[in-house]
Amino acid sequence: MPSHTRARGFLAFCLIPSLLLFALFVLVPIVWSIYYGFFSWKGIGDAKFIGLDNYKEVLHDPVFWGALKNNAIVICASLFGQVPIALFLALLLSKSNMFQRFVRSAVFMPMVLSSVVVGLIWGYIYQPQIGIFNLVLDYLGLGSFKKEWLADPKFAIYSISLPIVWNYIGPYLVMFIGALKNIPGEIDDAVKIDGPGPFRKLFAVKLPLIWDIIKVAVVLCISGSLKSFDLVYVMTGGGPAHSTELLATYMYNNTFAIYRYGYGSAISATILIISLVLVAGSQFLMKGKSR
Amino acid sequence: MVPKQTAAIQSNWMNGQASIGFRRLKSSLKNALLFIYAIFTLYPLIWLFINAFKTNDEIYSEPFALPNQWHWENFTRAWEVSGMGTAMVNSIIVTVLALALTLLLGALSANAIARFNFKLKVPIVGLFLIGMLIPIHSTLVPLFILMKKVHLLDTYSALILPYAAFELPLAIFVISAFMSSLPKEIEEAAFIDGTGYWGIFWRMMLPLSAPAIATVSILGFLRFWNDFAFPLVFINKTSLKTLPLSLSVFSNGYSTDYSLTMSAMALAVLPTIMIYLFFQEQIMKGMVAGAVKG
Repeated sequence: MPSHTRARGFLAFCLIPSLLLFALFVLVPIVWSIYYGFFSWKGIGDAKFIGLDNYKEVLHDPVFWGALKNNAIVICASLFGQVPIALFLALLLSKSNMFQRFVRSAVFMPMVLSSVVVGLIWGYIYQPQIGIFNLVLDYLGLGSFKKEWLADPKFAIYSISLPIVWNYIGPYLVMFIGALKNIPGEIDDAVKIDGPGPFRKLFAVKLPLIWDIIKVAVVLCISGSLKSFDLVYVMTGGGPAHSTELLATYMYNNTFAIYRYGYGSAISATILIISLVLVAGSQFLMKGKSR
Repeated sequence: MVPKQTAAIQSNWMNGQASIGFRRLKSSLKNALLFIYAIFTLYPLIWLFINAFKTNDEIYSEPFALPNQWHWENFTRAWEVSGMGTAMVNSIIVTVLALALTLLLGALSANAIARFNFKLKVPIVGLFLIGMLIPIHSTLVPLFILMKKVHLLDTYSALILPYAAFELPLAIFVISAFMSSLPKEIEEAAFIDGTGYWGIFWRMMLPLSAPAIATVSILGFLRFWNDFAFPLVFINKTSLKTLPLSLSVFSNGYSTDYSLTMSAMALAVLPTIMIYLFFQEQIMKGMVAGAVKG
């Protein structure tokens, strides 16, 4: 066996480059965002220490709270859109023949597309002149509901939620199909003998058995919705009148559109804290329920 | 007694027939529903590809119809006018280099974590796990400040280094999970043959982990190829723009040459769709595993 020191040298060589890269570009920025949050800085010249002022301003900014509310709307749309649709489809997609695999692949497809392209496509779909959304409403006899979907501050955030729901059903579908397959066959046989209806079978037998996976899906919905930046940036840029601002676009617009690096850092730190609290909180809540 | 029994069997049999018919009806109804949903979910993409072949007039006047003539020249025009060639080359350079860096560092670290025991193992793994919890967007501002200070803005490195850094936790997790499943005898036999740690890594662990490395490569490719936030913030020079960034100029709403923008978009998503068609199962499994761990 090679000597101990040689093993050590090899280990160091294996780990140190990764650790350095990771620390420099992932961990250091986190610390910096909290640190620069205490400064007023325009990107050039000296940064001025202003204590907690940036953080106070974040908490007193109605746009920040509006963005937080919009994030909540996106989370709700994901929770009540993605999870039920994925679950419903998963119940129908119990076999793995060609057709069913095709449907599953079709549902998953948006996941591999660039979110810029997804945003642009949906922007065109909603577009008043060439878009097909209003045309479809016309065909359905719902012409009176036609709108400029992305330009109307009252509806824009809901218009944006639809492509977000559409985009991310795939992973939940794959998770649920896997979970349903893992239900042992004996349970199915036992259910057949007892003979409950399909709904009781679903709610009394199947759902409790895959409850753990549903919990994971809920946590993913919550943490995932904080990541939707590209779609909103491309479709509306946070407008009109901040009506589609999410935390991430709010951070971007404050930092790179009006060059308030200190303030942007404070928002970054706030986003980090919110997402950690949300994920930890949802995990804790879900654990409590299952016991 | 006997006729009664036959009658009972017969009625049972008939019930069976009826329930088979009912089941067939139910399953074809189910398939019809699934088919409609699949078309519905694919329609935005289908619409994009059909419109990419149309003239602007047709896009306005016949939004649902197939093009009267398939205008393949839309693509050559999009390629030339919107500078997609440069953007495609930039995307390829950034994606390939970031992937190489991720795989090299990831495989080395995974090898250490999966095949060795050392004191700092638990804290190091914990550190990488924390990294998976951090939302990328919360690091944009500090990373921009960092890049500015070290004069990396407007370089390929400004994208390659953070891409690799953010992908490392997933790479290490996937590859080390796979390496842990390889038998311990590999090293023992190699030591007897006099192979050193490097030899074991390059000639045995790395080739044997090919399936895990393939998964990481596919996921990394999709992530790097599609990423928008980093180039948006770190890249300003037109000559360095990646595909998503160069496409995003169409979002300002001033461009009304829809056939141009749609054919450019179609060209841009084609590579990822091809990769998806070939590696569906791996992509689905890998993305779900990555999401659940992160």
